[in-house]
Amino acid sequence: MSEKVLLIDDEEEFLNALSERMEIRGMDVKTAATADSAVAALDNNEYDAIVLDLQMPDMNGIEMLKAIKVRHPDMQVILLTGHATVEAGIQAMKLGAMDFMEKPADIESLTEKIKKAQAKKMVIVEKKTASKVSDILSHKGW
Amino acid sequence: MSQATVPAREGLKFFGRVSASVSHEIKNVFAVINEAAGLIEDFTLMAERGMPLKPERLKSAANAIQGQIRRGDTIVKNMNAFAHSTDEDVREVNLAELLGLTVALANRLADMKQIRLTAGDCEPVSLAADSFDLMLLLHSSIAAALDALSAGDTLAVGVKPENGGASFSLSSPGKDAPLANDEAFAQFARSMGADVGVDEDNRASVLRIQPTARPE
Repeated sequence: MSEKVLLIDDEEEFLNALSERMEIRGMDVKTAATADSAVAALDNNEYDAIVLDLQMPDMNGIEMLKAIKVRHPDMQVILLTGHATVEAGIQAMKLGAMDFMEKPADIESLTEKIKKAQAKKMVIVEKKTASKVSDILSHKGW
Repeated sequence: MSQATVPAREGLKFFGRVSASVSHEIKNVFAVINEAAGLIEDFTLMAERGMPLKPERLKSAANAIQGQIRRGDTIVKNMNAFAHSTDEDVREVNLAELLGLTVALANRLADMKQIRLTAGDCEPVSLAADSFDLMLLLHSSIAAALDALSAGDTLAVGVKPENGGASFSLSSPGKDAPLANDEAFAQFARSMGADVGVDEDNRASVLRIQPTARPE
């Protein structure tokens, strides 16, 4: 099954090239160059993973991560940054980011992380479904 | 502008801010080059497996790499000029050139706030100054002005000769003088021997400086 990915970065050439490379690897990729368009894309689609730039002009990645986690708590977010600092990495992980990568990123490592994100998302969805079924069974008399 | 008024730590922090911003931009340049080169590699691997190679796709990836190399070269040239601003304590400084360089170095700061930063009207003017201190003052004035503006605004910075010295103007169309209410910046400017005022005619903030005395 192809991984559905939302790629968020204000560098349009980076977005175009990386999304094409991800598509070549069989992923279904949507892109957003601003925080506003990212929020709209998030509200209108389901994704297995989000790859997010840490420094966006209209909202920094940490703020964006917080906003994503409020609206979509199960979303798997991989942060990409031009200057990875230990502090930013720790803060991102505490806020629920799945992983943190420094630019320029290795496409194979990124692909691996996206596959892990998809697997993690599937486990969460399955658990939720099992819990819903169990809840229905415990409340219905049949 | 007077000499030895800027605490060493302020100068170091300014150098650090500019270096951090420049290194971040260079990382972004490398990231685009990395993906464009990777795309060319992907295309060639696909061609080896028998898929037709589209020349226009190769061309556009190569163009992206060349464009980023030009961008990177400009960034590094600006950083080099900035680093050389500490070569002499006081020298004759071309203020239009210095303004252009400071604007280029502050562009990322403006981009992050979604404000368009431009070098406006620049008349030929040069005077004796510590170019590093002058860039610190000008960069700080731009940062303070950006704080007073909003996303979508434009900030134009110009320079002209005035009373044996020079004045820098900072203005934003349709907005009041951006430094008019910033006492913290005005205090900092005064500590560097500069004066902050308002040009009521064109609603611009004005930063007036005088030549620095050359050391004996």
